[in-house]
Amino acid sequence: MAKIDLSNISHTYNPSDPNPTYALNPFSMTWENGKRYAILGPSGCGKTTMLNIVSGLVKPSKGKILFDENDVTNLITEERNIAQVFQFPVIYNTMTVYDNLAFPLKCRDFSKEKIEERVKSVSDTLRLSSFLNLPARKLTADQKQLISLGRGLVREDVAGVLMDEPLTVIDPDLKFRLRRNLKEINEQYKTTLVYVTHDQNEAMTFADNIIVMDQGEIVQVGLPKDLFERPKTTFVGYFIGSPAMNIFESEVSSDYSVKINNIEIKTNSNLSKIKEKNVKLGIRSEFINVAEKDGQNTIKASLKRVEDFGNFKLLTANMGDFVIKSKVNREMPISNGDINLYIPPEKCCVYINEKLI
Amino acid sequence: MHKLYTFLKYTFITLWTVFIVAPFLWAISTSFKDFQSVNSKVTYIPWLDFEPTLEGWRVLVKSPARGGVDIVEPYFNSIFVTCTASLISIILGTLAAYALSRFTFKAGFVRNNDITFFFISQRIMPPIVLSIPFFIFLSTIGLLDSLLGLVVVYIVLLMPIAVWIMVDFFNRVPKELDETALIDGCNPYQAFYKVVLPNSIPGLIVAGMFCIIFGWIDFFFAFILTFTEVQLLPVKVVALNSSITPWWSLSASALISVAPLIIVAFVVERYLSKGNLSGALK
Repeated sequence: MAKIDLSNISHTYNPSDPNPTYALNPFSMTWENGKRYAILGPSGCGKTTMLNIVSGLVKPSKGKILFDENDVTNLITEERNIAQVFQFPVIYNTMTVYDNLAFPLKCRDFSKEKIEERVKSVSDTLRLSSFLNLPARKLTADQKQLISLGRGLVREDVAGVLMDEPLTVIDPDLKFRLRRNLKEINEQYKTTLVYVTHDQNEAMTFADNIIVMDQGEIVQVGLPKDLFERPKTTFVGYFIGSPAMNIFESEVSSDYSVKINNIEIKTNSNLSKIKEKNVKLGIRSEFINVAEKDGQNTIKASLKRVEDFGNFKLLTANMGDFVIKSKVNREMPISNGDINLYIPPEKCCVYINEKLI
Repeated sequence: MHKLYTFLKYTFITLWTVFIVAPFLWAISTSFKDFQSVNSKVTYIPWLDFEPTLEGWRVLVKSPARGGVDIVEPYFNSIFVTCTASLISIILGTLAAYALSRFTFKAGFVRNNDITFFFISQRIMPPIVLSIPFFIFLSTIGLLDSLLGLVVVYIVLLMPIAVWIMVDFFNRVPKELDETALIDGCNPYQAFYKVVLPNSIPGLIVAGMFCIIFGWIDFFFAFILTFTEVQLLPVKVVALNSSITPWWSLSASALISVAPLIIVAFVVERYLSKGNLSGALK
């Protein structure tokens, strides 16, 4: 277990190019000992590169990596004592399940008793005990992924366990249980867990802190609540939450108000120092309520669609060119035609150049 | 429809089996014949059509002084040269292939694929082109007409096969396997021999099989680069021929020449049917 510091890290895969494209733009970050982090972002945003830099499979073009203040940038993977689990199961086909799980400990010359104890503990957690003597290649894809996961968890002294979308091939029921197991393991052993995913639910339910990435940039680091309620960029607003945040082109009309389609919407953001006139207003569909009648911060829109998701209803309404989505209680009676939607000022986020004020 | 398919399938298999097995049966039968049985009229079945004799086989083990041709020494020479050259080619070829598959090489305009092509190109040119350079090379280093000289030449001939097969094989072994081994605590060499190599046994067997076949059947270089001191089996078998073609001993020598390859085929087939070649990758 270790505190992992990434200091001014950046990486390009074509360093000899005079104008290299950066897979990771310069950033600094600290992963505290024993915490759970999720790295969330679309495919190709640099998540895997970041993990590979930490594990030593990729050497960063610039910057330093420190494990407990010790510079490990130039250490090879073997010397970093880190565990990494890949998206697809990687198992040693020629070995049994037991030997697969024991391999990281054997490589590090642990005693036979210790190896047996750890393999037993991990195989119990992952429900692999009954397969220990089988050749690993005979297991199913999700069982193979459990072996990969087990190899990552079998060492207690690792600096961190890095997981690159490890549950993609696992079926939903087991996925849920494994996530809980990972949390338990983290709480029990205080292992620093870093979990790459593009599934926001997975990230939200797993991590203490979520790191959202886009195009090689870290766009926001924060608690699930912060990411949901105060997305720092419109990208985070779109990316987190289902449906994505409602984002409207608008104009600043007073110190605390913006206008959408000539309707004044009051916000809690101080806009007095804003030079630009054109801004964007973001509001989560969860926070938009159906109002009985027109009033302050209420907009009239024509209802286009009502979708019943079982635990809530999703309303889609049009206001001019704008599409507004609102999540409401499924018991709420909804009549066709025009509806009034109330936008609470305290939940409004105002963005200039895609960034939160 | 299904019955017709089954009928056609078994007919085809039977015909194919006859096509493959008949020459062997013919060779076995001929190897037990004498001059009379071969040259008088067509004979097929021993004891009924002709009286079998072991003369064709005896000639092969008798020393020339006693009227034989003695292919025992050339036989073991061939086994030694083929096995040694195949083994060294597989070892060197596998290392080269792993490097070409996993690391990026740049030297001027030369890249990994160019290097791989360079290896393969050794097999593209006709062997006759290489005969004079090999002859001069071996004569310069004093290895002409020696087993060691032949081993050196065969390594040159067999290594491209090993590299070619193994590069393709390693390219299909996911890179994550090596990376996982590094993460689990192996250094790059341990990752190769503890993890990647055991997973590559199917590829090694296929490459080994091809090396053994191509090494064993070579006549051209064995003929050009040896004279009196050392002889390999194919050269000796050809030397059996004389003004009266000894079909019986030629058949016998053909059968024992082919025997090692049949054994190799059976071993590989066993391995294949055990499913060890499949499922090696995820």
